[in-house]
Amino acid sequence: MSSPAVEVDNLTKIFSLSLRRDYLVAVQNLSFTVAAGEVYGLIGPNGSGKSTTMKVILGLMKATRGSTRIFGLDSRDVRSRHQVGFLPENPYFYKHLTGKETLHFYGKLCGLKKRDRNERCAELLALVDLEDAADRRLGGYSKGMLQRIGLAQAIIQRPQLVILDEPTAGVDPSGSRKIRDLIFQLKEDGVAVILCSHLLEQVQEVCDRVAIMQKGKMLREGALNELIAIEDEVELVMKNLPPDLQAQIEKLVNDDAQAQMVRAGHPRTTLERLFLSETEGEEGSAHE
Amino acid sequence: MSDTVTYRPPIFSLQRVWTLASSTFTQLVRMKTFYFLAVFAVLVIAASNLNLLYTPVQQLKVIRETSLGAMSIFSWLFAISATAVLIPRDLEDRTLYTILSKPVPRLEYLVGKLMGVLLVIGVALALMYAFFSVILYFQEYRIISNEMAHMAQNPRYTDQDRASEAAMIAAYGPDLNLLIAVLAVFLKSAVLAAVAMLVSTFASSSLFTIIISTVIFLIGHFHKMATDFWVVEQQGGMITRILGEILVLVIPDFQIFNIADSVSGGQTVSLNLVTQMSALALMYVAIFTIASWFLFSDKEF
Ligand SMILES: Nc1ncnc2c1ncn2[C@@H]1O[C@H](COP(=O)(O)OP(=O)(O)OP(=O)(O)O)[C@@H](O)[C@H]1O
Ligand SMILES: [Mg+2]
Repeated sequence: MSSPAVEVDNLTKIFSLSLRRDYLVAVQNLSFTVAAGEVYGLIGPNGSGKSTTMKVILGLMKATRGSTRIFGLDSRDVRSRHQVGFLPENPYFYKHLTGKETLHFYGKLCGLKKRDRNERCAELLALVDLEDAADRRLGGYSKGMLQRIGLAQAIIQRPQLVILDEPTAGVDPSGSRKIRDLIFQLKEDGVAVILCSHLLEQVQEVCDRVAIMQKGKMLREGALNELIAIEDEVELVMKNLPPDLQAQIEKLVNDDAQAQMVRAGHPRTTLERLFLSETEGEEGSAHE
Repeated sequence: MSDTVTYRPPIFSLQRVWTLASSTFTQLVRMKTFYFLAVFAVLVIAASNLNLLYTPVQQLKVIRETSLGAMSIFSWLFAISATAVLIPRDLEDRTLYTILSKPVPRLEYLVGKLMGVLLVIGVALALMYAFFSVILYFQEYRIISNEMAHMAQNPRYTDQDRASEAAMIAAYGPDLNLLIAVLAVFLKSAVLAAVAMLVSTFASSSLFTIIISTVIFLIGHFHKMATDFWVVEQQGGMITRILGEILVLVIPDFQIFNIADSVSGGQTVSLNLVTQMSALALMYVAIFTIASWFLFSDKEF
């Protein structure tokens, strides 16, 4: 049996702030597991601890309590990073290197041999659509271009796990769609993905499972289909429904003692709606 | 147990260190640091043409002093400032995130950065050394032939006089001692860069690193004095003495690398001193790198 791609076990991360005895709980008793080959969405409002969780998984930060593992190896072990690719939020690379040199640099760090590296670089530059800019220095790249070279860099060694922190931030709609397609491609290749994004439509589209975080805690977690299904409601989707037939159906439903028509029209329960009701529900201000 | 890691990757890979070092080298070169070489060339040429007031020997001495002095200043300035800027910049630009999320141990990162800085200093020193040796060689040749022509006109001088004059001038031409002096400059800046790296792992800003490293560098030149004062003669109060002993222990003795002055004065250096100096420098660099590693491995980004 192979180990899950990521195991987060009771993770707590506390930052001590400056000189005062002040501290901030960024992540609190967080546990989740990402199976190999699964696309896992991590969503939550700003400052809810998503990036912090990712950094702990990658060994960039130490857990205050609890532990994280990548394919069974503790995050504190350098070897756990052989199978990971990471795209940080707002990535920035060495300005003095060209796009191609950047990919070679990261490829070398991953121990890729020259032939393999050449092949892989060409392939990735084509994939992220930066062939024309390959020989330009990153100092002159736009935000979306940096994001794309960052994505290419993340998957240079064909890792089995890719962690993407807001990969579509600053990317234009077509680039954003390309990134979505790329995630689909990764999924097809059996690569596990952790995706953190504020574009909930996209998360809904690509993720198998989703976790909603708020203030460092897990609010909801589960398979996407189950999360956004409303158990006590049934959706009938009909095409070309004549108005009088619709009236008849409504009448039938209303005549029944238990059944109740919630709404008619074009129903769509989205992740976005769930997100808003969950995260705002806490404050007790929202309804529906 | 995991079955995805099919091979055991080496914990320390020289290849990765080299990748980091050469990338640092490229970075520093593309920051146009080698423009200093042009300044150096102008300096050396200027020094070699300032020959109005000097005796033949003095002329060569001026070239040696100017060149070694400039090389030394370049090296320590560069060792401190480049090292102080590199790591904080990686952190600010978040390049560190992507590097450390690859299978790169933090020690390799530090060693790679340090090696990159030293590579630039080494290459720069080699180029400067080559340039000024050539200048020195031609100047020596020119001065000797001038001098010989001059002496030939005067019947007072014997052949022997002329030969000894030529030999005396030649002693200030390019020689092995100069190379050793350059090596000493390099070793000194290597230790200094390691100090700056250690400071930059806990400093809050590059400016802080530069200031602290410079202070350590300056104090390091009074090492022997401080040792005599605090450790050997047991002067001062209890607390100052303990503080002094700690300082003496922590701060490297930079004075031992200062052989440039005596070398430009034409003195020879024993091979023994060279090995001693190199061993000491290596030890200092190792100690400071390990200390940096301890601090750096606890750092969060
Ligand atoms: N290095 C740090 N020092 C102190 N506090 C930090 C540090 N990094 C993050 N925090 C705090 O931890 C909390 C969680 O931050 P984090 O970056 O994980 O949020 P996020 O979910 O990624 O938000 P966003 O959607 O804006 O990216 C925030 O309150 C943030 O201020
Ligand atoms: Mg974030």
